[in-house]
Amino acid sequence: MSNDKKGGSLQPTDKKLQSFFGERPFPAMEMTSGRLRYLTRRDVLLFGIGAVVTLAGGGFLLPQQTLSRIGGRRNMDSPAKEWFLNRALRIDDDVAEALYSVNRTVPTYTKSQITPLKNNYNGATPDPGYISRWTLTLDGLASGLSISLDIRNLLTSFSVHEQITRLVCVEGWSAIAWWAGLRFDDLLRAYPPMSQAKWARVESSVNLDASGNPDPYFMSLDLATACHPQTLLATHFNGQPLTVDHGAPLRLLVPVKLGLKNVKAITRITYVAEEPRDYWAERGYSRYDGI
Amino acid sequence: MSHSTSACNGQNATSTLLKQPGVLVVRKHHFLVRWSHWLNVPILLGLILSGISIYWASPIYQHKADPNTGNFDVAADIGIWICAHVPGQHHYSSPPDWIYNHMSLGPGMLALALRLHWLCAYSFMLNGMVYVAGLVMGGGWRSLLPRRTDLVDALRMFRYYLGFPFAKLARRKWLHPLFNTKYNALQRAAYFSVPVAGLLSVATGWAIHKPTQFHWLAALFGGYNAARAWHFWLVWVYILFVVPHVILVFADGWDTLRSMITGWSMRVKRSEAIANEQ
Repeated sequence: MSNDKKGGSLQPTDKKLQSFFGERPFPAMEMTSGRLRYLTRRDVLLFGIGAVVTLAGGGFLLPQQTLSRIGGRRNMDSPAKEWFLNRALRIDDDVAEALYSVNRTVPTYTKSQITPLKNNYNGATPDPGYISRWTLTLDGLASGLSISLDIRNLLTSFSVHEQITRLVCVEGWSAIAWWAGLRFDDLLRAYPPMSQAKWARVESSVNLDASGNPDPYFMSLDLATACHPQTLLATHFNGQPLTVDHGAPLRLLVPVKLGLKNVKAITRITYVAEEPRDYWAERGYSRYDGI
Repeated sequence: MSHSTSACNGQNATSTLLKQPGVLVVRKHHFLVRWSHWLNVPILLGLILSGISIYWASPIYQHKADPNTGNFDVAADIGIWICAHVPGQHHYSSPPDWIYNHMSLGPGMLALALRLHWLCAYSFMLNGMVYVAGLVMGGGWRSLLPRRTDLVDALRMFRYYLGFPFAKLARRKWLHPLFNTKYNALQRAAYFSVPVAGLLSVATGWAIHKPTQFHWLAALFGGYNAARAWHFWLVWVYILFVVPHVILVFADGWDTLRSMITGWSMRVKRSEAIANEQ
């Protein structure tokens, strides 16, 4: 459009010389000022509508607590909001499930890399009195029986595996710790679940809430993850039998999941076909928690 | 950045003398670029606000718990300082929560913040792909590539911006450095760095979200804890970008703002300069 003075003959050679990365001129075009005004008005109006819709969407999605703090009086909580946000969680869970592979192991560390691990019981730490009476009950087995095992049964009939892995909390902190115990996979082989089972409900009946009242902890674990070679039913921590802080006498150690799936002081494992309830999923966290 | 369009009208006057008065316009931004540009506003705001709420649950920067308050969070310290020293904040009910009440969705809502963070994070990645598609389809990516002369030119622009307010006050002439590209060197540096920061935020986000499946990614950033710190500090790139970005757009005028809403700009001169140069 602007090269008419120089003559068209130069243009083709210029095009060839132009580097692939070189900036190209914008094709300028002519427009009546009325048309430009119309297009501007139309697009600015659309932009305004978009901005209002976005603000409304923000009001719809933000937590009620946040809305109240900035002066919102109406209760904006609704089943639709829950559904929508849980949908986002499920998409993320599906991504996590797609990433999981039974053959992909998590990194292991050396003893010099071990970091302190705090007692992160959500409520009060149980009184150690339960340990002497402790048994592990297995339900939903192929045999149809309910099996009860004590810690001596478990330690004598299964081989013990050690690993130094990272435990990652949903809050963001993590700890590298040295664990030992039996493989969940070995337990599954010794006491096979019923054929339809896809899930394990892992439960601790000794869990307490913050004021020390019984608050059973239950968690869903897909059997695909239970079979992972690094999924342990841990009995030892840093070379010593588990203390009450870390879930004596038996806790789940599943390093491909967030820490909240690593149930302490397991008392019952139930194999089921449908996804069981999950303590933290009922409190707004995700269900699958693969990391 | 304040060239008028009168030159273009003059050139056209002969050919359109009898018709309606016309203006020369250029399409500055592909519509996908414009869409993704504006969508970034709510998405990034959502990511940052929910991100700081997530940070609250386990702050990266901690110190030994204060014997009086039990506080160990450096961010909470800043809130306590603000409540003690900023006028009007003396009676704030919970000073350690000040930062989280003003800079995030709020304290004590990890589950809610995580859900919103994933929603915004997936939107951010989709939006990033839309942006790249728009850059490729409209050819706009070429204008963002750094050039060899950029360092000197960026310094010249920086000097211009620094001196501009003083020149205005002194009513002195203060000439805008000349350039014949879509963006000046400083803009190019900014518009090139922000998508790179976006990419790094996504990468560090995955590294800390899936630290076992993507442990190689976390290792790339120096391990899980280092990747968390990266993810946190990258936020400052957006903040440091957005503040001057918004100020300069308004300083530059309506044509620049309109070009990001409608795509059209009446500043044809610059692109003609490129055409003549080549």
